[in-house]
Amino acid sequence: MRRFMMAEATKHDTVFSQLGADVHVINSLLCYITFDIEGTEISYVYNINKKDKYFLQRIEPYPEPAGTFNSEDELIDTIKIDIEQFKNAKNSNVFNDFVKINKCLSETIRNFEDLYLYYNVPHETIDNIKDKLDSIQQIIKNTKTSCKKIYEKKDPDTI
Amino acid sequence: MTLDYGVYIAVSIFIITYIFIISEKINRTAIALFGASLLIGLKVISQEYAFDAIDFNTIGLLIGMMIMVSIIKKTGIFQYVAIKAAKKTKGDPFKIILTLFLITAISSALLDNVTTVLLIVPVTLVITETLKTNPLPFLIPEILASNIGGTATLIGDPPNIMIGSATNLGFMDFALNLGPIVIIILGTTLIIFKFLYGKSITVDQNLKDKLMTFDESKSIKDYSLLKKSLFVLGLTMIGFILHQYIHLESATVALIGASLLLIISKKDPEDILLEVEWSTIFFFAGLFVLVGGLEKVGIIEHLASGVLDLTKGDLMLTTLMILWVSALASAFIDNIPFVATMIPLIKSIGAMSAISIGPLWWALALGACLGGNGSLVGASANVIVAGFLQKTDNKLSFINFLKIGFPIMILSVILSSVYLVLFYI
Repeated sequence: MRRFMMAEATKHDTVFSQLGADVHVINSLLCYITFDIEGTEISYVYNINKKDKYFLQRIEPYPEPAGTFNSEDELIDTIKIDIEQFKNAKNSNVFNDFVKINKCLSETIRNFEDLYLYYNVPHETIDNIKDKLDSIQQIIKNTKTSCKKIYEKKDPDTI
Repeated sequence: MTLDYGVYIAVSIFIITYIFIISEKINRTAIALFGASLLIGLKVISQEYAFDAIDFNTIGLLIGMMIMVSIIKKTGIFQYVAIKAAKKTKGDPFKIILTLFLITAISSALLDNVTTVLLIVPVTLVITETLKTNPLPFLIPEILASNIGGTATLIGDPPNIMIGSATNLGFMDFALNLGPIVIIILGTTLIIFKFLYGKSITVDQNLKDKLMTFDESKSIKDYSLLKKSLFVLGLTMIGFILHQYIHLESATVALIGASLLLIISKKDPEDILLEVEWSTIFFFAGLFVLVGGLEKVGIIEHLASGVLDLTKGDLMLTTLMILWVSALASAFIDNIPFVATMIPLIKSIGAMSAISIGPLWWALALGACLGGNGSLVGASANVIVAGFLQKTDNKLSFINFLKIGFPIMILSVILSSVYLVLFYI
């Protein structure tokens, strides 16, 4: 199997080198971590390599890049906190809507990217989308100030 | 031969292991090691005897070459050569087939076949995808070239490594005795491919122009490593040419080259050793012990006596029988266990008769290596390419390969028969 993987890597290397890329193939271990929280699958993928950089991605219940970490402690803490928060969130009666909205947001990002890359999008449409996003952001900010904080071990990273 | 319980156990374990290897029901390395350790566990042979039965020259040569190739391939030289050659042809499909065929044959003579196809096939696929043409007319010749080219030298194919190690035949013996017939077979095969593909593949000029925009220099990852690698590879090749005259085993030459390259390349040995095919190495070790068990209980001598009874000790008949049986067997079963069994058999024939066994070694090498072209499962290189193509739209079926590979294999064995009869008998 490793032989096929190496041959495949050689092919990718040739294709991307010809496109002008600088290709580095490194040995690493790819780890899939899956939790079952009361019937909801929460899973992550990250790789362990000699460069001590961990690229973490949550893949279920919705895909989201979780960032690059310089130490395994940071990586493990991030997953631990994430799981704690999901366990907490699972008790909410809007949990399913929360997952649906996140999936929809992920899909919307892809849709917008396709729209922009495949079509000549008018300036007004871009402005329109921007306004709608600003209003969503505003809802998030307003809600944050008006709601009670339910997780105290750590502050949010983005708001 | 005394028919005690050891004989029954050794033969039973050997046959059952062989069946599992051929049927691929259990991983070949796992079953070979299990069979070998059972022989020791059931006290057919002692652990000391088992270790003595392992041919560490073969093992050392394989490991040494695998280490060197693991480092050399990181330079991107194979992609460079393949792209450069394709551009030299100005995108003409048959000329690309021809040049890649020759590159594969030459590389296979100097490195092992599997490594060669693993490096050439991915680049070939990039070229055929660029030309928007079916890759099979490019890949089938490469598979055949790897098996034919590997026949020419001591280090080109594992059967030759095993034969060289078990005898006093060195790198130059293989090159001088097998090189001429390999060149004839390569030439004949190319003529066949000219008839098969010479006019049938056409490519639009704009796609050829696209291929011409490829920049082969982008393939070279590390010029300093490339210089060091070529320097050490050159030294190692000189070492192989001289090893018989300076009384060094081929494994010593390969391991000196490998360790020197490990030091001067400054590559992390842990990463490089990860790429050594340990599964193949342990498969060899297991087989050597299994065959050692057969030797110990006297079965090999018994078989050798049977062969001599059949051929009445006639050199031509024995040579041709070994050549054809090896070729037909290697077309459908793994040639490594076959050769591992044949080596002590030929040695016993030599010990039990007045036959000069020199030609028998060449017959075994030609049969086992060229036989690999007979079917898709005949050689590791074939299986690797077919496996790689499984993920693409152009799958290589057993029948499609058989239609081309088997007649070419038969033709190459006929040419080998004529060669052996004319020059060795």
